[in-house]
Amino acid sequence: MLTVWGRATSSNVQAVMWCVGELGLDHVRHDLGHTHGGLDTPEFRALNPHGLIPVIRDETGGVGAAPVWETAAIVRYLAARYGRERLGDAFWPADPAARARVDMWAHWAKESVAARFTVPVFWAVVRTPAAKRDPVAIARGVRQLGRELDTVEARLAENEWLAGGHFTPADIMLGHVLYRYFDIDIARKPRPALDAYYARLQDRPAFREHVCISYESLRA
Amino acid sequence: MSETPNSDRPNSEIPNIEVWGRASSSNVQLVMWAIAEIGLGFTRHDAGFGFGMNDTPEFLAMNPNGLIPVIRDRTGGRDVLMWESAAIVRYLCASYAPEPLWPRDPAVRGPLDMWAEWAKTTFGPAFNSRIFWPAIRTPAAQIDRASLDRAIEAMKPVARMLDDRIGDGPWLAGQDFTFADILCGGMLYRYDSLDFDKAETPHLDAYYARLCQRPAYAEHVRVSYEALRAT
Ligand SMILES: N[C@@H](CCC(=O)N[C@@H](CS)C(=O)NCC(=O)O)C(=O)O
Ligand SMILES: N[C@@H](CCC(=O)N[C@@H](CS)C(=O)NCC(=O)O)C(=O)O
Repeated sequence: MLTVWGRATSSNVQAVMWCVGELGLDHVRHDLGHTHGGLDTPEFRALNPHGLIPVIRDETGGVGAAPVWETAAIVRYLAARYGRERLGDAFWPADPAARARVDMWAHWAKESVAARFTVPVFWAVVRTPAAKRDPVAIARGVRQLGRELDTVEARLAENEWLAGGHFTPADIMLGHVLYRYFDIDIARKPRPALDAYYARLQDRPAFREHVCISYESLRA
Repeated sequence: MSETPNSDRPNSEIPNIEVWGRASSSNVQLVMWAIAEIGLGFTRHDAGFGFGMNDTPEFLAMNPNGLIPVIRDRTGGRDVLMWESAAIVRYLCASYAPEPLWPRDPAVRGPLDMWAEWAKTTFGPAFNSRIFWPAIRTPAAQIDRASLDRAIEAMKPVARMLDDRIGDGPWLAGQDFTFADILCGGMLYRYDSLDFDKAETPHLDAYYARLCQRPAYAEHVRVSYEALRAT
């Protein structure tokens, strides 16, 4: 059995849960973090010394069933362990030469797109009280994010999915912030390929179930 | 296991990896260290700060982000062109490194990969973007001392965290040196040699001293950053 610790409203938990959903893995998830608390207990710190969610433990995975944290490392673990048997080789190719493109776009999406969205844009807009919002900083954040989204747009104009012709973890690392990106009140430059991609993501039940969910409880 | 074993090497030719990026870039250093640690051949082209080239159409065709490092590997009929240093290190290790440098079992790899990821995306920026750059690459008169002091304070618990994790080591996996040590250790030369108020981290210091014993680390990571210093 796979255990996931972390509230459903955390963007990083959403990336992991979407991956779990795509792979169709049996699991239990415990709400932890934000209003649920529980990140400072000795039990949780034994799972993740940083006191952050998500954390997983895969009892079927073998070797001591050690906990794994860091969203990107969790997704790589799940993809390597279950990708091929559940979704075929293209999801996380066994050949490192074919996997290279998937891994590089996945890494980039988390470090460049998700990181430029979550704190500088989403937090600044949704998790900051109206009186404290800084429109200049928000505009700067949207502009910096926009440069990365231009790269995404160029890529998606020529490829159905971020890493090429197949849905892969690169789409999870990019797509898990898109529901919020399209939902919050910010200026969005027209990007037709990104719009079409977002519509394709919404055809995926695991995306709708784990990512397209209310973030009202996070609102300042 | 769901991944190709490294005995799958197409033939016995020693791979020659083409690398674009100046030797003084911390992300290039991760890649060069991995190449040398595995024992691969390489041809490195200087590019980036002080050398340019990363804004040319040819370069942007390789990496639309215009960043270094970029590698190309044409070993045995493959043609892999990629960027993102951490993904490159994983690629090189998965392709060419023996056990235990790259553990084949995802259940062994996962708990190491998480520290590697944390080092690259938490320790790295906390030190490199918030301390190293402001201290080295900003002209003295323009340094925002208050913000640098905050970053230096914020770095202490991060360094202690790695210190705790390393413990007696000798490596992150215990006895075996792995890919995770490459991604975690790459930043430590700068961290150690830059003079600022640091947390006490005896385990981390001993770990760094062990890294310095590795010829590949001495050659590719302990590279002077004087050329980056703002004047
Ligand atoms: N680099 C980590 C970051 C994890 C992280 O920052 N998690 C946040 C939620 S997205 C957290 O634990 N926040 C504390 C809370 O929810 O109370 C990852 O990618 O997993
Ligand atoms: N996430 C990328 C970041 C690459 C990056 O920021 N590279 C820097 C050097 S460390 C760069 O290209 N700077 C521009 C320059 O040197 O001109 C990676 O890890 O490879």
